[in-house]
Amino acid sequence: MNDLWTNRLSEYIDGELDNTERAALEAHLATCGHCYATLADLRQVVARAKTLEDREPAKDLWAGIRAGLTPARSAVTGRPAVRPSGRRFSFSVPQLLAASIALVLLSGGSAWLALQSNPTATPTSSKGSAAPGTEIEINWTSGPDMAVAELQDALTRNESRLDTATVRSVRQALATIDRAIAEARIALESDPGNTYLNLHLADTMRRKVELLRRINALVAES
Amino acid sequence: MPRQVLEDTLTADSIAADTALAASGDASAFERLYRTHVARVHTLVRRMLDADEVDDVTQDVFIRAWQKLATFRGESAFGTWLHRLAVNVVLARRKNVGIERGRFITEDAPLEKATGKRETPELSLDFEEALGQLPEGARQVFVLHDVEGYRHEEIARMLGIVPGTSKSQLHHARMALRRHLEQ
Repeated sequence: MNDLWTNRLSEYIDGELDNTERAALEAHLATCGHCYATLADLRQVVARAKTLEDREPAKDLWAGIRAGLTPARSAVTGRPAVRPSGRRFSFSVPQLLAASIALVLLSGGSAWLALQSNPTATPTSSKGSAAPGTEIEINWTSGPDMAVAELQDALTRNESRLDTATVRSVRQALATIDRAIAEARIALESDPGNTYLNLHLADTMRRKVELLRRINALVAES
Repeated sequence: MPRQVLEDTLTADSIAADTALAASGDASAFERLYRTHVARVHTLVRRMLDADEVDDVTQDVFIRAWQKLATFRGESAFGTWLHRLAVNVVLARRKNVGIERGRFITEDAPLEKATGKRETPELSLDFEEALGQLPEGARQVFVLHDVEGYRHEEIARMLGIVPGTSKSQLHHARMALRRHLEQ
């Protein structure tokens, strides 16, 4: 059985009928069991569509993708943006801005952690670290930062108190920051007087200190 | 649930950082982005296209994403940007292969043929399989609207049809798929 209103049921579900049509359809539903049952089925279809799950491909496609990665073009400079194998890495200003934006996002995680942690908590060492908003006066290219080292040691000692998935996520986030730091250091080797690079590196290091400090505070509270 | 919030925050931060690194040419960072997003992209492509071209198109999506990363401005999350790119690649593929005939449903008969009967559950297809057997036009409208959340006006622009056709195809698809709701 199929009537005039059956074909309008999807529009009814999606809220696309005007007031007059909706009232007329609802009056029809009160008297037509077929349309009433069909409406219930269609609502189930809509709900089912929202619960469909994603599936991994049957085979790993990365090798084919990797082979197709030709040097990308920078939208700003028009130069290849891909890092050629074996050549020294260098940042363009837009790329550094992009990295900075990512690290600012990282500070969002730190902000959340700050809300969860004891506001009086302090890092195990303040040498080489800086509170948010203060000037950083150390030479970031001179060697490893002791505050970071000590905080990482503390995290290593205490991470058994975190669940495995959290430890994995923390390590992944720190590894990403470390890559950004390492690449900034490499860029500074060829341009040590670059103010922007120094500030970028200092900011990255500061954010790493903040993240480590907050995670340690969270562990201490757990 | 603080730990879950921490997990989500760290994941989002890692993706944002990897996006910036990939945009600077870091293929390892891009591989991590691939591994995070491949299931979603591959599933979208599988639902929209025929099975024999899904892997190729998925690879094409990621290669194009790499090429376009320098233009990614970060207004949306990387996953959202990649998903929209995947939709565009799928629709471009659809045009390139010139799929026109039989794309949209004009009557109920093709749906009856494409889908099984609810009364014989042991022979019936599951919901995903039934979705895959819909005529292409109805399948794409259903996926874009009910699975991916696009509006009819957006779908109409993407597919080059009028919104009324999109609504009609969606209704036909839902009517066919209701026979394959799991009991």
